Amino acid sequence: MIPGRVLVIVPAMNEEESLPVTLDELRRKAPGVAVLVVDDGSRDATTDVARARGVPVVRHAVNLGVGAALQTGFRWALAHGFDVAVQLDADGQHDPAFLDALVEPVLAGRCDVSIGSRFVSRSAYRAPAARRFGMVLFSAVVRLTAGVRITDTTSGFRAYDRAVMEVGQHDFPKDFPDAPLLIDLARRGFRLCEVAVEMRPREAGRSFYTLGKSLYYPYKNLLASLMVLVKRAG
Amino acid sequence: MFLSRTQVIVALAAVGLALFVLDLVRRRRLSEEYSLLWVVASVTIAILGFTTPLLKAITRTLGILYEGSTVFFFGLAFATAMLLYLSVKLSRLGQENHALTRELGLLRNEIDELRRAAPGAAPPGGGKAGA
Repeated sequence: MIPGRVLVIVPAMNEEESLPVTLDELRRKAPGVAVLVVDDGSRDATTDVARARGVPVVRHAVNLGVGAALQTGFRWALAHGFDVAVQLDADGQHDPAFLDALVEPVLAGRCDVSIGSRFVSRSAYRAPAARRFGMVLFSAVVRLTAGVRITDTTSGFRAYDRAVMEVGQHDFPKDFPDAPLLIDLARRGFRLCEVAVEMRPREAGRSFYTLGKSLYYPYKNLLASLMVLVKRAG
Repeated sequence: MFLSRTQVIVALAAVGLALFVLDLVRRRRLSEEYSLLWVVASVTIAILGFTTPLLKAITRTLGILYEGSTVFFFGLAFATAMLLYLSVKLSRLGQENHALTRELGLLRNEIDELRRAAPGAAPPGGGKAGA
């Protein structure tokens, strides 16, 4: 991978435990790749932990959500002249060993957004039945509304090119970073593609997906997916 | 002039609302932009409350059986419109808030970078010594 062209954006909210592991692994498996931590209003030592490792940090004073953290990362990436931004979770789910594979189609110009998917090829990941149903459902929603085949719509392991960052820094469906975001990007004419990756369980901390949220999730995202269709392209 | 008991109550309500809105504006708790809507609301209540023939005519035109329902209908319509308007305002406020928070974070980061590039520069807190 060409150093200096790719920035890894790590959105982090109260991740003082997982973040050091993730940053150390990044340095080990992807040496020379620039990293930016976007601390999304943490109340713990997330910012200090990143700074102690010499990683630049942009801190939100209050929690705005993953999508907004990504937007901030886009602006930073553009200001510092990067061509590709990779979104990588702080909780250790995403293995930096797959960075090259993820970035390759974007750097080669074959697509604008590449999505690290657990389902493109055989993978160790086995989701519970309810989760699997949701994934099939949202995959179908994206295919019907945007005409793109994306098997893993909830994957937060993605690479974005300059064109997407330039639009996304101002206008991004930041409250719905999954299926609605993919539909939105596809409808703006950006090319999406998938790359096979393996994902791991979280290192530490609480998962974002609790029971209440897992019931609210399909409702919220289905409705937001339809709302994206109504939105005027701007 | 003969006023029914209902009309007296309506009159008091309309005048009370108008005075309350004006007082909020006077104390700078309510901006003029929003006060306009509420003044219109209190005037509408007054008109509908006093001009019984007008209320009756509207009720008949809309095919409503009872005048009271017409008043409730307009009240509900106004409340819904106001809530929708506030949701729009809230969306905009939220977007502005997000943009400001992000911008603030980026500026802080830029200051950090500049300070690191020029170690002699003043530390935060107006140049006080110490770690």
